[in-house]
Amino acid sequence: MSGETGTHSKGTGLRVYAFAYLLFLYAPVALLPIFAFNDSQIIAFPLSGFTDRWFGELWEAEPLHESLMNSLFVGITSSVLATLLGICAARASTRYEFPGKKPMMGFVMLPLVLPEIIVGVAMINIIVQLGMDLSLWTVILGHVLICTPFAIAILSAAFASLDRSLEEASLDLGETRMGTFLRVTLPLVMPGIVSSLLICFTISLDEFIIAFFLTGADTTLPVYIWGQLRFPGRLPSVFALGTLMLLASLLLLTLGEYFRRRSARKTGIEHTAGGLV
Amino acid sequence: MAAPIITLEKVEKRFGDVVALGGVSGEIRAGEFFSLLGPSGCGKTTLLRCIAGFEDPTSGAIILDGKHMEGVPANHRPTNMVFQSYAIFPHLSVAENVGYGLKKQRISRAERAQRVEEALAMVDLAGYGHRASHALSGGQRQRVALARALVMRPKVLLLDEPLSALDKKLREQMQVELRRLQRAVGITFILVTHDQEEALTMSDRIAVMFGGQIAQLDTPQNLYRRPMSRQVASFIGFMNFLDAEIRADGGHSIDLDVAALGRVEVPSSQRPGKPNGRKVSVGIRPEMLTILMTDSETAEREIEAEVVDAAYYGDMTYYDVRFPGVAEPAQISMRNTAGRRILEAGDRARVGWSSESIVVLD
Ligand SMILES: Nc1ncnc2c1ncn2[C@@H]1O[C@H](COP(=O)(O)OP(=O)(O)OP(=O)(O)O)[C@@H](O)[C@H]1O
Ligand SMILES: [Mg+2]
Repeated sequence: MSGETGTHSKGTGLRVYAFAYLLFLYAPVALLPIFAFNDSQIIAFPLSGFTDRWFGELWEAEPLHESLMNSLFVGITSSVLATLLGICAARASTRYEFPGKKPMMGFVMLPLVLPEIIVGVAMINIIVQLGMDLSLWTVILGHVLICTPFAIAILSAAFASLDRSLEEASLDLGETRMGTFLRVTLPLVMPGIVSSLLICFTISLDEFIIAFFLTGADTTLPVYIWGQLRFPGRLPSVFALGTLMLLASLLLLTLGEYFRRRSARKTGIEHTAGGLV
Repeated sequence: MAAPIITLEKVEKRFGDVVALGGVSGEIRAGEFFSLLGPSGCGKTTLLRCIAGFEDPTSGAIILDGKHMEGVPANHRPTNMVFQSYAIFPHLSVAENVGYGLKKQRISRAERAQRVEEALAMVDLAGYGHRASHALSGGQRQRVALARALVMRPKVLLLDEPLSALDKKLREQMQVELRRLQRAVGITFILVTHDQEEALTMSDRIAVMFGGQIAQLDTPQNLYRRPMSRQVASFIGFMNFLDAEIRADGGHSIDLDVAALGRVEVPSSQRPGKPNGRKVSVGIRPEMLTILMTDSETAEREIEAEVVDAAYYGDMTYYDVRFPGVAEPAQISMRNTAGRRILEAGDRARVGWSSESIVVLD
């Protein structure tokens, strides 16, 4: 009996802790939509009334649209490139044994723990030394570098859970290696690929430090927002922008999870994907 | 005698330091039900995978239907495999699984559908085509794997322990069905198994493997009655061993002095392994020894023994008896016919045997 009461009170303590934790984590996020609709340039309570003019302002801001398009371009390109690289690396590391595999994989995963500021400074040095111009492509280069380890981690799990004899069965039935990859391997790791694309896209979309160092004349969205923060009058519209981005990420993650579940149901295997979403 | 569909010439396979196959030679005949039988790790799967083209032999040759297979990839070999895990494609329906290999060939959609339906009917899964493959039972998955391989009309069907994942009843049922199917399609089957009973009941011929070598390649009857070594003899069924000495080797027959049993002359055919040397051992199966319960029962040869242990199994009684001067008890199996006595430990018994039932071993 006493043991039960003990767990009970411990449970309550944990619950309070968890609640406080979530509040701390998400309260600032909840402030975004509140101030996005607040009819005042000053970000402070008490609220002054409802307005949608900050969204209207967003609608009008040309440079914002440009940076949004840039961000989408960078995000899509780097997530596709990182995922392609991830597919190759994950496939090689789960299927083949080759000398120097361990150190090589460790090296590829290194950007996962390197501070971004170091990556950014190092890359800008090299790019300048090589005499290349800073552009969206240099940002993409940086983003591929930091996204690839995530892609490899997600895709390695997906490839590792794939039964090797499925590929052998396909070869055995007369299919070529390429055909086997397209007809068996790819469909079965597709949830992992979708996860990888979504995660990489999300990472790229809100990445600031590397983009800040490597961006040329065209800026990405986070760099643009940072520029806006110097003007207090623009702050509410930054909140409005944040609200829209929040909605977009929620939508993306929901979509990702929907596709993962659907494919898991179709193949009858839970968690084939090794997906993170 | 049918021509060989597969000839193995000193096939060797090493994985680093591990010798999985140590020079395997032999012939597999067209249209036969062939089994690879041996304990775990003896190289059965490796040999099967070498034939299928998933592994390249380190040295030696595999000749399949008259063609050297070196450098021929799995997708160009006239073999198909039923995997131990069945390897059913989870993202495809039953019909799509079975038709997977046909899609690669230039066959019209209608003919493809018809062949898939035929193959499914052959394994008693007619009408299951539209089913999702993950919604199948173990036995059904195995049938799909069979249909998927048979629909390709291979020269040789390779089966890697296809029944080991099934429960006992289903396994016995599938043994019968596999055998029936093999006779119906006439394709050469090569079955890998470590279950000697399964190999004996299903196969035309069996290769018994130990440590990457074929110890004996023979018919089930010969393997059981005339094993070539003690190892084979004790792997297939149970065998009692007794020390013996060769007194005279007369070409047609051998004169032996066997511990406890005494002098006996056996035909040369009872020495299949051709052990050389005077000191040999002889083997005798438990059912070849008979306990003579009444005075009216007689046998070619008789010996007095003492019952050490008796185990009653309903249909059978298994006795351990001790022969005079032999430490290791011998096993005797007796059918429990109507009115036959059951002896107890400590009883004296008159054991009958015949010189024909003795095998001379190394
Ligand atoms: N890919 C591999 N790498 C290294 N060693 C291997 C490999 N495949 C098999 N072996 C080794 O080769 C030997 C034979 O293996 P194999 O799988 O052919 O045995 P098996 O007779 O099929 O056994 P089981 O009944 O357990 O399936 C074993 O010692 C095994 O450890
Ligand atoms: Mg095996």
